[in-house]
Parts: sequence; structure tokens; C-alpha cells
Amino acid sequence: MSCRQSRKLFGASWDDELTQAEREWLEAHFASCASCRTEYEEWTRTLEMMESLPRVEVAPGLAERSLAKARRQPAAADRFPAHVVRWIPITATAALLATAGAMVAQWSGIVSLGSNTRVETPVVREPSLVTEATPSDTPRPSVSRSASESTLSRADGTLAALPDSLLDQGEDVEFILDAMTLHKGRAHPASRLSPTPVRGEQAVITF
Amino acid sequence: MEPPVPPDRDSVSAPILSLSDEDLMGRVAEGDERAFSELVRRYQGRVVNLVSRVLNDRECSDDLAQEVFVRVFVHRRNYRRGSKFSTWLFTIAANLAKNEIRRRVRRRNWFSLDALQEMVSDSASQLADPTEGQEVALQRQQLQRAVGQAIATVPEKYRLALVLRDIEGFAYEEIGHMLGIPGGTVRSRINRARMMLKRRLRPLLRKEETP
Repeated sequence: MSCRQSRKLFGASWDDELTQAEREWLEAHFASCASCRTEYEEWTRTLEMMESLPRVEVAPGLAERSLAKARRQPAAADRFPAHVVRWIPITATAALLATAGAMVAQWSGIVSLGSNTRVETPVVREPSLVTEATPSDTPRPSVSRSASESTLSRADGTLAALPDSLLDQGEDVEFILDAMTLHKGRAHPASRLSPTPVRGEQAVITF
Repeated sequence: MEPPVPPDRDSVSAPILSLSDEDLMGRVAEGDERAFSELVRRYQGRVVNLVSRVLNDRECSDDLAQEVFVRVFVHRRNYRRGSKFSTWLFTIAANLAKNEIRRRVRRRNWFSLDALQEMVSDSASQLADPTEGQEVALQRQQLQRAVGQAIATVPEKYRLALVLRDIEGFAYEEIGHMLGIPGGTVRSRINRARMMLKRRLRPLLRKEETP
């Protein structure tokens, strides 16, 4: 072990934290290295001088003076749990008021509806149906039919296989599926279609 | 009819004296001033000594120690029950001492290395020549002053760790909590501070060894 390594052990030696092997090695090193031995002696002498410094005497009345000065200052706010605890009732009260307000609003709405308010039905766009274009259609027209037309179409059997979900319900669109051909009750890829398939460009699923 | 007997002073003060620091601080948090006075009595010596050695200024150390205890009382509700009181107290003391050092450095009102060297060489010559008629007590005083001033020239971040360890005797881990640094950093700072101090006191050490 080198002198540099021995000097790293000075602190542990002073703190009595050396292992037996380290202590034996250090002593052996000091026996053969005067420089490290002198260095260590100076080092320990420095710490002894520091430790031997006399304790500073305290002027009497420190507690009274501290207390007198502390009394003139307001106590610092508690940074720890009290803050959290203080917010719990405030938050609970706010939640309670909000719930009560919502219930009152709902109740008054029911009363007014029941008495003289007419319930307005939401405006729903006319359902439209899109069928796959035939080769002669150039440019390809988009075929849209009204609800009455679709009903008629069903009646004459042309679109009898169409499920209701192919009808566009306007504002109620929530899911749009990829193009596929639908047979009643199951879906098949477009490649497996019959010669006159009906192709839905979008399907609407409502709940 | 017999006059009422005043309460036995010892029976009132006994519980306070037997309480742990942490229990006393719990009482201080509730505004118990007697518990506060007892804590000051227990720690005033160590706080004044720490501040005095870190700043090397006896005059100022009383005021700063007072400020430490004022903060303990003012911030009493921020003391976390279960944590060690001495660690909390010395964290406050170390922070205030650190602030004071920085304030002095800004004002350039600080002890210089040149002044230290002059003092060390004076002390060394007196130690080397006891026939000059200097009294032993005076020599010791001179030596202590030189050591105190040598400590004051160690950079602040090393000095605080050094004084907390080698003068106040705190464990490395506790010093780490006080200064907000890991235990390994505390060890390396203290070792560096010891080496710095040894270098600065070397003339004194060598003269002292001379027969």
C-alpha cells in the first residue's frame, strides 16, 4: 500500500474505525515510512489542539432574553399536518353544498317540466343510407335516402338485409366502422360479397 | 387555621427535569415556557460554543445563540415529533452561523490568512522560547487563539462539518442531517477540513515539538 493510501486511513484511525488488518498494516507502514509517521503525528496533534479548546462560557440569562424576544414575535405558522387538517372541513363543506345545489336544481327542473314546460326533442338529422356504387355511376353518386325511402326500400326487398345500424343517426354518431358489407346478423369482408352487395360507408352505434 | 402550604418547588420542577428533550419540545410546541427554559439550559453551552468556534467571535456568539433559541420558540410548531431535538436545534444553529459567515464575507469583515500566519508565527516563537518570561497560561491562551483563528480560515462548508464533528462530537450521519448532505460527503468534507487545518497550523506544530 502506498503513502497516499495510508493517508486515506488517517480519519478512520482517529475515529477508531479501522479493521484489525488495516491497523496492523498502517503501523507497519509507519515503521518503514518516516514521512507518513510525521504527517500522522501532526495530524493527530492538530485534532488534539482543536479538541482541547476551552468551552466558551455562556452569559447568564440567555433563556430569559431569548424568551422575552420570542414573545414579541408571532409564532410561525405550522408547516406540517395542521394545514391539511384545516382544509378537510372546507373541502367537505364545499362538496356538500355542491351536491345539495345539484339536487335542488334537478328537483326544481322536474317540477317545472311537470307543470308547464314542453319537453323539446333533440333534432336528429334524417337517416341516410349509402349503397355501393355501380360501375355505370360516373361520377359516383352518393345515394342517400330518407327514412321513408328506406322504409319503402325495405318493403320492396332491395335493402331488406340492411340492419338498422346502417342508418345514419346524424348527431348521435359515436363509432364509425370501416367499410364492410353487412348481412343480417353478421359481417363479412368485401371480397366475399354476393354480386349485388350493399356497402355501408359508415355505421352508427348508439346506446 | 393553618396557612396554605406553598407547593414544593422540587415537586413542580422534577417532571420537567426528568423529561427527554423531545418531550420537552412537545411541551414547548404547546406554549410551555418552563419547558423552553429547561431546553435552553441544557443546550445553551453547546450552541454558544458551536457558534463561537465557527465564527471565531465571542462577542457575536451570544447574540447568535439567542437568535437560535428565539427561532426554536417561534417555530415550535414546525418541530416534528419523533425527530431528534438536538438535530433540529443544531440545524437551526448551523444555518444561522452559515448566514452570518456569508454576511461577513460580503462585508469583507473577515479574518485573513495573512493575519493567521502572523499569529501562528508569534505563538510558535513564544512556544519555542519559554525563557522569555511568558507565563504558561498566556502561552496556552495564545495557542488557543491561533487554533481558533486557523479554524476560522477553513472555508465555510468544511468548517461547519469540522466543528460539529471535532468540537461538538456529533456522529457523521447526524451532521449529514443537519447540513442536508449525505454521510459520505460529510466524511470527505471533514477530512479535507482537517488537512487544511493541519497545513495552516504546521509552523506551530513543528515549533511546539522543538525541545
